[in-house]
Amino acid sequence: MQLYQAPLRDMRFVLHELHRDDGFGGLARFEQFTPDLLDAVLEEAGRLASEVLLPINASGDIEGCRIENGVVRTPAGFREAYDRFREGGWCALAADPRYGGQGLPEAVNKLFEEMICAANVSFSLYPGLTRGATIAIEGYGTEDLKNAYLPKLVEGRWSGTMCLTEAQCGTDLGLLRTRAVPRQDGSYGVTGSKIFISAGEHDLTENIVHLVLARLPDAPAGVKGISMFLVPKYLPNADGSLGPSNGVSCANIEHKMGIKASATCQLDFDDSTGWLLGRPHKGMEAMFTMMNSERVSVGIQGLGLGEAAYQGAVAYARDRLQGRSLAGSRRPDLPADPIIVHPDVRRMLMTMRAYNEGCRAIAGWVARAIDAERHSADAETVRRAGDFVALMTPVVKALFTDLGFETANLGVQVYGGHGYIREHGMEQHVRDARIAMIYEGTNGIQALDLVGRKLGAHYGRYLRAFFHPVSNFIEANGQHPKLGGMVQALGQAFGALQLATATIARKGMKDPEEAGAAGTDYLRLIGLVAMGHVFAKAALIAVEKLEGGDPESPFYKAKLDTAAFFFDRILPGTMALFMAIKAGKESMMALDEAAF
Amino acid sequence: MGDRIGRVCVIGAGVMGAGIAAQVANAGVPVLLLDVAGEGPDRSAIAREAVARMVKAEPAPFMSKQAAGLVEIGNIEDDLTKVALCDWIVEAVVERLDVKQSLYARLETVRRPGSAISSNTSTIPLAKLVEGRSEAFVADFLITHFFNPPRYMRLLEVVSGPKTRPEVAAKVEAFADRAMGKRIVHAKDRPGFIANRIGTYWIQVAVNAAMDLGLTVEEADAIGGRPMGVPKTGIFGLIDLVGLDLMPLLQKSLGSSLAPDDPFHASLRTLQLVEKMIAEGHIGRKGKGGFYRINREKGGVREVIDLVTGEYRPEIKSVPPKGDLAALVATKGKIGEFAWGLLGRTLGYAAALVPEVAEDIVAIDDAMKLGYNWKFGPFELIDQLGTANFVRRLEQEGSAVPALLKLAGERSLYRVENGRRQYFGLDGEYHDIVRSEGVLLLEDIKLGSQPLLKNGSAALWNIGDGVTALEFTGKMNALDSDVMELIAKAIPLVQRHHKALIIYSDARNFSAGANLGFALFAVNIAAWGEIEKLVAAGQQAYKALKYAPFPVVAAPAGMALGGGCEILLHADAVQAHAETYIGLVETGVGLIPAWGGCGEMIDRWTHSGRLPKGPMPSVARIFEIVGTATVSKSAAEARDYLFLRDRDGITMNRDRLLADAKAKALSLAEGYVPPEASQYRLPGASGRVALRFAAERFHRLGLATDYDLIVSDTLAELLSGGSADLLDDVSEAELLALERQGFMARIRDGRSQVRIEHMLETGKPLRN
Repeated sequence: MQLYQAPLRDMRFVLHELHRDDGFGGLARFEQFTPDLLDAVLEEAGRLASEVLLPINASGDIEGCRIENGVVRTPAGFREAYDRFREGGWCALAADPRYGGQGLPEAVNKLFEEMICAANVSFSLYPGLTRGATIAIEGYGTEDLKNAYLPKLVEGRWSGTMCLTEAQCGTDLGLLRTRAVPRQDGSYGVTGSKIFISAGEHDLTENIVHLVLARLPDAPAGVKGISMFLVPKYLPNADGSLGPSNGVSCANIEHKMGIKASATCQLDFDDSTGWLLGRPHKGMEAMFTMMNSERVSVGIQGLGLGEAAYQGAVAYARDRLQGRSLAGSRRPDLPADPIIVHPDVRRMLMTMRAYNEGCRAIAGWVARAIDAERHSADAETVRRAGDFVALMTPVVKALFTDLGFETANLGVQVYGGHGYIREHGMEQHVRDARIAMIYEGTNGIQALDLVGRKLGAHYGRYLRAFFHPVSNFIEANGQHPKLGGMVQALGQAFGALQLATATIARKGMKDPEEAGAAGTDYLRLIGLVAMGHVFAKAALIAVEKLEGGDPESPFYKAKLDTAAFFFDRILPGTMALFMAIKAGKESMMALDEAAF
Repeated sequence: MGDRIGRVCVIGAGVMGAGIAAQVANAGVPVLLLDVAGEGPDRSAIAREAVARMVKAEPAPFMSKQAAGLVEIGNIEDDLTKVALCDWIVEAVVERLDVKQSLYARLETVRRPGSAISSNTSTIPLAKLVEGRSEAFVADFLITHFFNPPRYMRLLEVVSGPKTRPEVAAKVEAFADRAMGKRIVHAKDRPGFIANRIGTYWIQVAVNAAMDLGLTVEEADAIGGRPMGVPKTGIFGLIDLVGLDLMPLLQKSLGSSLAPDDPFHASLRTLQLVEKMIAEGHIGRKGKGGFYRINREKGGVREVIDLVTGEYRPEIKSVPPKGDLAALVATKGKIGEFAWGLLGRTLGYAAALVPEVAEDIVAIDDAMKLGYNWKFGPFELIDQLGTANFVRRLEQEGSAVPALLKLAGERSLYRVENGRRQYFGLDGEYHDIVRSEGVLLLEDIKLGSQPLLKNGSAALWNIGDGVTALEFTGKMNALDSDVMELIAKAIPLVQRHHKALIIYSDARNFSAGANLGFALFAVNIAAWGEIEKLVAAGQQAYKALKYAPFPVVAAPAGMALGGGCEILLHADAVQAHAETYIGLVETGVGLIPAWGGCGEMIDRWTHSGRLPKGPMPSVARIFEIVGTATVSKSAAEARDYLFLRDRDGITMNRDRLLADAKAKALSLAEGYVPPEASQYRLPGASGRVALRFAAERFHRLGLATDYDLIVSDTLAELLSGGSADLLDDVSEAELLALERQGFMARIRDGRSQVRIEHMLETGKPLRN
């Protein structure tokens, strides 16, 4: 049986305590949402996750989606769960109030997303993609399109998709073939075949709104000739009721390793009516708005699954009796000690815990920047927040999903043989987590994005939004009487990051392959330094609280212990990454292709 | 008569004549500027107004106020007899044979025998000009064809007639070369001489081809500009600059005098669009705009004329094609067709003009490079395309193949042999390119030797006679840690094996200072330690130059800004090209000079004797110069700010700069004693208050932003000596520490970071 209780205390810590001095303005600008109200929302969301979504997670995995005559059926219980989700207003949580959304801060929404993913990542994709489509239509749609589609999407009556991939084109969208032909009335006829479309067809909503990348007849070759179109499954009538079917059909659904309850569809568009979103040939711009938002959300999937795996592993480690503690028996009353006494099991649990808390803290930081970028009135803050989000998006996506997979894997390991069988649900986490490292841009692509587009842009300006706060923190706290050692360790890792950054900038300018060879290690390096930064900040708060005799001292004590483990056991990995980056591309590229 | 030119007369105070007179004055030589007598009470009004206009003009024809004072004005009715005092008379009157001839007749009676007379005609043959003149006059007569503007364009086409005395020509050429800074190109007495003959044809071919192929103005300029080494204004942009109204005049004048079978005639077309534009006053930048215009009614958008409809529309930026020239002309479609249509015809025309307009290809390449600012001459361009390929393509399309190219066959037109650059001659042989005496170019030295030291941003060369030259080689000659490292390595090497060191670069700009892009990246990753290390390394390197046991001569040309200025301040002497623009511009990006520049300026101003005694006057003057990021508009003007001192020299001809610097270095080498370390007496806290007061006045007047005040306060703190008391001596090391401290404070400020980024991304300062 899978377990999940939303880690509300740590979530409140991230939301209210950890990032108060991040310079992004925080929650104060959302004055209509008091802290108490936000906490209540989180609590309610946690209940939804545990009581509605978790129970259909394993069953949905076993049953999977079915397709019959082009009609896709989600597993038992999904429709009912979706209705409760929608009726509870959860689809509208972070959406723009102008279209019926509740306008909650992203800092809260990301925590909510984490809960949904932890409980049922397949389910999360249905409302998740709707959110991405909403953002693209908000940014690039005409007023008519916004008014016709956004209220329905925000309400969750209709859902959204992103139709990018085709059989011959995945990462390289320049190879895309789907055509869009302008018509007299200003609409376009869209024809082509798309694959790997999550939530492309299903039985949860009345209508599905596809955002489709296609080429206009006069389009230049490559990615500069791609436009984005809004293509609904059913054409809505003027009064908002559903009109005729629009020539979009689902030819098949994929049989996948994981997320089996998510319908991954092959969609055929046959002269389907669509409307241009944004400017002709500038579809990549619109696509990236949606994609960047999705990438952060995919990172959250990794975190959510990591948390689910951790909770399952802890329960089992407390319960499972095997062998005796190396320090002598702990529970002589029992036939054996619970395995949580063993150092190597502790190693796994602490690693999982540190990754989850670290990622959650980073996510909170990035979410606050997203809020500032959207809502701040100060141009300089908007710029800095935007820089930070641009830099951290590939880090969140790749780091969180890599670590989420690793954590899910450790979850299986803690269970031993019982993790490998279906009954406990631990192997499902591994399978479900695997896709997040691949879709919305593989983690290799995230690394390339980081070193190729983010690192050198504007002479390294995006880096400033991350490097300066970290540097200032180290300068300010390096001599802290209790945590000086931790901060100095962070300082060392940060120094390695600075050197690696300068090295990649220098070498990569002359030889892009050098940057390409360094990308994945560099992304992990910056990710671990970011994690070190948030842990050091957390530890600082914890020490103050403990000194002040806070009634919640067990929480802060645990935070401090987890931070200490991170600094001792995980952060030193930055040195190995630095050495690998410094080695350059040579040995990576030396072997003859024929010798592989 | 002597062979020295000590006084010049220019007749004709139009744009060219006045500009020529100004450049003579810039050389420090008195000049008489005459025009026709005015109707009113001021009979010399025309010349007087010409000089007054020039004093205000930008870019300035005069290099200094003193130069303007060397121009004496007059009119040809009352003052023509003064011509007798002049060694060279330049005629730059209206382009009419009768006017010129009657002026010459009058000159014949008043000029001093043996004085040189030259015409600045651009089209009239020499033989016609001297018709009816005495033999003595003809012997002293030649054509000197300057390019506009005469101060800045380095080309001088010289045409000697069959009877011109060689010594007269030599005298004028020597003066034009050394004093006026021109590179002399000998042209034959053919219409349009070299540069305008080819240039006019080139423009016509380009306009025709663009129209035939249906290219837009932007597309044509994108292809015909940078990819071909032509200034980025491109061809239509150039026409706007010169003036559309001049096109028909040049065409008419050239067309009437060229042989009937000259390809020039075939390139001539009546273009209704151009005629309409001229009629409507769209004659280019001097009128209501030309092919390009800025539409002020629409908020200053740049608009471009549509070649088909003749209507203005917003500019559509066209990206220049990438790749080499051979690939460009081979490109399928309009781009390749335009590129070949333009190059094939223009270069083929140029090749057919040897020896009609010049003895060799070098003269033609020089003329186009210096007269039209082409990066490569026509024959260098042919080499880039490959002679054989070029000929084959001409043959394929049935065009005539010039004899020179037939003769060359598979051979290139230039080559390097035994470390010398050679050109292909009409005799089918290669010949060394011989530089004039006193011309020394690093590019020549590099062909025949290896650097003594070299890294990514600098190199050290042996330039002979015990003198070495340190060259900046980084992008834009930016100064970085590699430069400082090479300086540190060069000093012991020069000390051991050589007599002197010159800091020099063949590039257009000496150095615009530190590598700001690198610095900003370091800032962005919070590499504060590295930045401070670089500041310290620069200070050490510059002081090591100052105290080196051998003379160091800096030889700048073009921009010497920021760190590029500070290195001059540490040299024993500077030999500057006349066109050197010097300044400490750090405050523009929210920083302060920190490679020792502040201390050196204090030293100079304190000991200049130009200001009242005591520390405050000097410091106040430097505060003003540095605080407002003042840049001198010439080497001569740099003396006003003490960026240059009396002991520093100015070279008018860019080609002679290195040789002059070398001579200066050798003259200092004998018995050289390095300077002693400076001690400064600075005004302290009260001085800082006074400087702040001055800055605040600027701020109140709206001339300085809030952040400008903070930057200038950092500067004030440094210049006043930090916590120093008026009675304390401040050591050089202490002042350097203050520089570092102030610099770090500013570069860590986000407002400076925004300024730096803005400068890097737009090339313009940000006033935040």
